[in-house]
Amino acid sequence: MTRYGFVIDLKRCYGCYSCQVSCKAANHTPQGIDFARCVPSETGTYPSALRQMIPLICMQCAEPACMTVCPTGATTQDENGIVHVDKDLCMGCKYCIMACPYGARQTVGEWKTYFPDADGDLDPYESHAKAQWEEKRGFGVAAKCDYCMDRVEEGRQPACVDSCPAKARHFGDIEDPLSEVSILIRRERGFQLNPEFGTDPSCYYLPPR
Amino acid sequence: MRKATSIARTPRDPAQRIWPKLLVGKHLCVISHFILRRKGGVRGCNTQGNVPNVGRLQEPTHEGRIRHISVARERAARSKPWVRQRPPAEATARAQRGRYRFTKDSVGQAPGALQLTFVGLDSRRTSCICFDAKSFRDLRVSGMVVAHRRGDEPDWEAGKCWLGTNGSFLDPRCVQESDNSMSVRTRNHKEDVWIPTSCGGCYAQCGIRAHRVDGVIVNLEGNPETPAGSGRICAKGTAQLMTLYDRHRINYPVKRTNPQKGVGVDPRWQRITWDEALDTIVAKLKGMKDHRGCYFQATTVQTSEIRFAVIAFMRAWGFKNYWVSGGGLWCGNGAHFMNGIMHAAWSIIPDWNYNNYTIYFGCSKGHGAGHAALQSAQWVADARARGMKAVVFDPFLSTQASKAHEWVPCRVGTDGAIALGMLNVILNELETWDARYLKLKTNAPYLIKPDQHYARDPKTNKPLVWDPADGKVKTFDDESIKDYALQGTYDVNGTKCRPSFDLLKDHVKANYPLDKVEEISSVPQATIRRVAQEFVEAAQIGSTITIDGKELPLRPAAAIFFRGSQGHVNSGWNCLEIDLLNQVVGAADVPGGAMGHGPPVSQGHPDTGKPDTVPYACEDGLMVVKGWVYDHKPYPLREPGPPKRLDLQDMFPCSVYNAFTVCTPEWEKYMEEFKIDYRPEIMVNFGSNSVMTMANAEEVTENFLKKFDFIFSFNIFQNEFTEAVADIVLPDTCFLERYTPCVTFPSTFCHPTGMDHWVWQIRQPVVEPLYERRDFNEVMLEISDRLDVKDKYYQAINDIIPVRYGGDMSPEYKLDPSGDYSWQEVCDRVLRDRLGSDKGLEALKKTGLEKWPTKVEEMYWRWFTPVRVPVYFEFFLESGKKLKKLLSSYGREDLADYRFYTPLAEWFPCPSHEEKNPEFDLWAFSWRPSFHTQSSTQNNPWLDEVSVNDPFVYLIQINAETGRKKGLKDHEVIWVENTDGKRIKGPVKLVEGMHPEQLGIAGCHGHWARGTPISRGKGQFFDDLINCDIKHTDSLTQGSDACAKVKIYKVNGSDSR
Repeated sequence: MTRYGFVIDLKRCYGCYSCQVSCKAANHTPQGIDFARCVPSETGTYPSALRQMIPLICMQCAEPACMTVCPTGATTQDENGIVHVDKDLCMGCKYCIMACPYGARQTVGEWKTYFPDADGDLDPYESHAKAQWEEKRGFGVAAKCDYCMDRVEEGRQPACVDSCPAKARHFGDIEDPLSEVSILIRRERGFQLNPEFGTDPSCYYLPPR
Repeated sequence: MRKATSIARTPRDPAQRIWPKLLVGKHLCVISHFILRRKGGVRGCNTQGNVPNVGRLQEPTHEGRIRHISVARERAARSKPWVRQRPPAEATARAQRGRYRFTKDSVGQAPGALQLTFVGLDSRRTSCICFDAKSFRDLRVSGMVVAHRRGDEPDWEAGKCWLGTNGSFLDPRCVQESDNSMSVRTRNHKEDVWIPTSCGGCYAQCGIRAHRVDGVIVNLEGNPETPAGSGRICAKGTAQLMTLYDRHRINYPVKRTNPQKGVGVDPRWQRITWDEALDTIVAKLKGMKDHRGCYFQATTVQTSEIRFAVIAFMRAWGFKNYWVSGGGLWCGNGAHFMNGIMHAAWSIIPDWNYNNYTIYFGCSKGHGAGHAALQSAQWVADARARGMKAVVFDPFLSTQASKAHEWVPCRVGTDGAIALGMLNVILNELETWDARYLKLKTNAPYLIKPDQHYARDPKTNKPLVWDPADGKVKTFDDESIKDYALQGTYDVNGTKCRPSFDLLKDHVKANYPLDKVEEISSVPQATIRRVAQEFVEAAQIGSTITIDGKELPLRPAAAIFFRGSQGHVNSGWNCLEIDLLNQVVGAADVPGGAMGHGPPVSQGHPDTGKPDTVPYACEDGLMVVKGWVYDHKPYPLREPGPPKRLDLQDMFPCSVYNAFTVCTPEWEKYMEEFKIDYRPEIMVNFGSNSVMTMANAEEVTENFLKKFDFIFSFNIFQNEFTEAVADIVLPDTCFLERYTPCVTFPSTFCHPTGMDHWVWQIRQPVVEPLYERRDFNEVMLEISDRLDVKDKYYQAINDIIPVRYGGDMSPEYKLDPSGDYSWQEVCDRVLRDRLGSDKGLEALKKTGLEKWPTKVEEMYWRWFTPVRVPVYFEFFLESGKKLKKLLSSYGREDLADYRFYTPLAEWFPCPSHEEKNPEFDLWAFSWRPSFHTQSSTQNNPWLDEVSVNDPFVYLIQINAETGRKKGLKDHEVIWVENTDGKRIKGPVKLVEGMHPEQLGIAGCHGHWARGTPISRGKGQFFDDLINCDIKHTDSLTQGSDACAKVKIYKVNGSDSR
C-alpha cells in the first residue's frame, strides 16, 4: 500500500523560503495562508549559538487528529495517507485547526488580496488564484496541504520539492522499503517531529548535523 | 498496515466545479451530509471503514496521545448534539427548490435525458434530476470524487448517477474517460502553456518556465533543461509573479508637476502620453549644452538588459558617465577588481564537486547569494552531506554560518587581517605551500630589487627569475629554466634581489603576528592557527585527479569572499589577501579549489567558436582577461590621466565604480579643480534606486542627483529615486514582458562550476506588456532614432558585441548603420551571429536556451592557460606614483591614500576601527537576506510576507548579553547613531548569534516611497549611517566603507522623530 510521505533534510536546508513561496504560487493561497511554512529558530548561547530553519508542512498523519475530531466528516483520508478536506462538507468549525498539533490547517473567511489598496479590484493573477482557491479549497472552511496531489497525479513532484534549491525535500512512498524516502529515513536517522503527539506523521526530518 | 478507506479519489479539477454550484449550491451539501450521516455513511472513514463516530470516542489504538488531542476530541464530543440536529425545515425547502430549479430550467428538457438518481448509501435512491449523458460530459463534471460504500457497484446503465462526497453528481464513465487530469485541464482552458525564459529576480539569471493559462501567468517554476538553476527556483524568483501584476507598477508615462525635488517630496505625478514623454526627452537631449553632460545610471539586477542600450546610447550620444548605482556600496568593487586580476572572473566560488574545506569571509555563496544561486545551493548541500567542512568568519550567525561546521565571530572589516594572519601561519609556522603552482602560475619567483620593483632583463625588459639548477638569472619565460628559486637572496648584476615570494613570507611574519591579528579581529590566535592548519591539510598539496583523461592538481580547499569583506576601506586588499590563501596552496581554478566564477574561460559554441574568452599573458607574463564587462580591464591597470568623467572615476587606476566624489558637497569644487569643462545636465536612469543604494539618502540626493537639470527614468515602480528627483518616469516592462538576447553571457553569475554545460539563455515576453509599458531597449532605440543618432547606435552595438561576447561579428549579421531594425531584429542578429544561422530568435523562443557541453580546458583552465597571476603587486607602485603625480598637479594630493599602492598585501583599518570615543561601542553593519535582491524586492507582497514573519529581517539584531547590559528588551525601539550624529530608529532583537560588539541591520529596507506602499516603513534604512567621503573610500578601488561605529539608546517620547 502506498503511503505518501516527506523527508525534509535539515542538513541541506538553509532557510531560503523557496518552499513557502513556491507552494503559495502552486496552490494559489491567499494572503496569510501558507501550507509550507518556514520557522527560523535560534538555540544555544553566544558563541556556540545555532540557527536552523524548520520547514513545516502537513504531516499527513497516519492517525490524523484533525480527522478524528471533524464533526461533519469533511476530513477524509485517502488510501495513500493523504488527508483531504471536503470543502462542501466542512462547516468551518475550526476544531481540526485546534486539534492539529502541527498547525498545518488554516482557514480564510474571504479572499484576502495582497493589494488591499486596490479597492477589491483583483489583478489577473489574483482573480485566477481566487477562482482556483474557491473551487478547490473554499472560504470559511479548513484548508490544508495535500502534498500537491494534482501534481503528483500528473507525475510531477509537489511544488515545494520541485523548487527547493538545496534539494532538501524528498517526496515518496514511505511504506515502500526501496523508495528514496524510506532509504533516507533508515540511513540518515530520520525522525518525526514530536512523535509524542501520537499521530504518526508521514513527514520525517533528517537531523541538521 | 495502512488504513483501508472506502474513499476512492480521482483527480479533481477545480474548474469543473461550477456545474454543481449552479445546480444546487450549498444546500445540497447540507442535505447530502445529513443523509449520509444518518445512514452511517462513508465520509471520513477510519480503519474500520466506518464514520469516525464523533459522538462515541474510540479508544486510541496506541499509547502516547497528548492531552490537547484529547481536549480536541472532547470538544468534538461536546458538539455531538449539534451535529446530529436535523436540518432546519426551511433549509431543506431551499435545497428542494434549488434542485427543482435546475431540473426545469436547464437540462431537464434535453433530448435523451436520463433519469438521474440520488443514491443514498443504503441504496435508498431519490430520483430528482433529468439530464443526458452528453451534456453531462460536456459540462465536465467528471473528475469529481466518487463516494460509494465499498461493495456498491455503480449502476450507471440504469441511468442512475452517484452522489459525490462533495455534493456533485457523477457519471462513472466520465471518470474513466478523464482519468488523465492533465488532458482534462488542457481541454478545459483555451490556452495552457509553459514558456521557457530567464528569471530576472536577481543577477543569477536562472532558467525558468512560466505557466500561462488563458493569457495569465499563474506560476513560475525552474526550467530543468538548463544548468543555470538546474530546474529549481527560489523565493525571489517565484514571487516575481506578483511583481508582474503588482498594483503599484507604473503603467503609463508620468511627469513631475511639483518643481520641488528632494527626499520624501511628493512629485505629484501627472499622466502623459508616450509621445509627449519622448518629445520632451528628445527636446531636452537636443537642447543640451554639451552631450558629455549626460549621465547613465543603471541597476545591477537586470545585468543583461544594460549591456546593449546603456553602452550603445552612451557611445551614440557621446558621453562617458555611467555607473551602476549601489555599485560602490552593494556590488563588488574590490571583489570584481581582484577576481579579475587573479581569476579572470567576476567572482569566485569553491568547486563544490570536490571541495572538502571552505573558509567563508563575509559571503553567502551557495546559501542564496546570486552567484549561480540555485546550482550552488544544491552542490554545497551535496558537499556538506559528503562531509565538506565550512568555516565562516562573520560578525553574525548568517545563513552560511548557521550551516557551517564552525562559525568564527569576528569584527567587521577585519577579514583581510585574519587572512594575513593565516598566511603567516601557513608560510612561516607550517612552511607549506604549493611550490609548483607558485613557480609556474604566479609571479612568486620574480626577483625583486631593493626598490621594490622587478629586476628586469636589460635587453628584453622582462622580469627575471633565479634558476637554482643553473645558478643564474633568466627571464621568467626562458625555455631553459629547470627550476625557479622562491627563497633566498641573489645577485643580479650587482644588485641584491629576492624572489617576491620571499618578501611576502617575511612581510606577513613581521607585520601580521597572530597577537596583532587577534587584537584587530577579536578572533583567538589558536582559532586562526587551527583553521590555517586545517586549510593547508585539506588542500592536499601534491594530489592529482584525472578528469576526462586529463590529469589535474586536486586542491579541495578554498577561501572565498564577497560583500562582507569588500565593503570597507580596505576593499581591494581584503579580497586579495583572502585569495592569497588559495594561491599559496595552488587552489585556484583547479578541481576542488576556488574557481573563477562564470566560468571565465570559454572556447565558444562548437558551431561558431564564440564566445571566445580565453585570457592571455601580458609581456610580464601576467594574465589579461579577454572579455570584460566594464570600461577597462582589471589588469593592466588604467593609466591615471586627466579625468573626462563627471565623477572623476577615470582618474583612478583601479576604480570600478566610485561614489565619494559625487556624493559630497564638494562635487562642484572637484569638477572645477580637475578642470572638467562641462557640467551635469541630464541623467538617464534604468531601474536603479540610487537614493537608497549609495549612502546617506539626503547626501546622495542633495549633492549629486539634484545637480541634474533633467532626469528621465525607466522604472517598474515609483521608488525613492523617482519620487525624489525624476522629471519623467517611463513605464518599463518587467523581465516577463521583454526580449533579451544574451542573458547568461558574459557569464558573470550564471554558470555553476564544474563539468556541465554552457548555456545561452534568452528572455522572451511571456505576456505582452500590459497597459502602456514598453521595453527599455526598444524605447532607447526609438529615442536614438528621434535624435538622429541611430547609425551610431547600431555601430556601437557592432563594437560592443565582440568585446562583451567574445569574438568578432560575422559581416552578415552586423547591423547596417543605415538600416532600420526593431529590437527583436537586433536580438535575432546577435543570436545568429553567436550561435549559428539556424539559432535565431524564433528558434530559441521554443526552448529558451542553447546549450553545449563544457570542456575540462574551460572549467579547470588554470593549468591549460599559459598565464601567471601576481602574489606581489609590483604594478601598484607605478600606478600609485602616477596617481600621486596627477593629483598633485591639480593640488589635490589628499584624494588618495598612497599607502594602499603597495606591492605587498596590507590590511588598513576603517574609520570605524580607529574610532576612540568609548561612547560609540558597537560596529553597525548591514547584511542581505537571501530572499531579497538589493532594494528591488521589498515591495513584493509575497516576499514582504516572508520578511514580516522572519524574526531577523525587519529588526535590529544585537548580541543578547550586550542588549541586557544596556537594559534592552526584544522589540524595544532604539536609536542607532553614528559618530556624525546621523541616526536611524527601529525595534531591537536580542540574539545569541551576534558578536558582542556588533549590530546587524538588513540592508535596503525601510522604504518610504509612495509608490511602494507595501514596503513602506518596514525595516531600517541602514545606508543613512554611511558616509560618502574620501575618508570612507578605498583609495585603491574607490569602494565605499559600509560599516560605522555607533551608539544605541532607547527612544524617548520626546525623541521619537
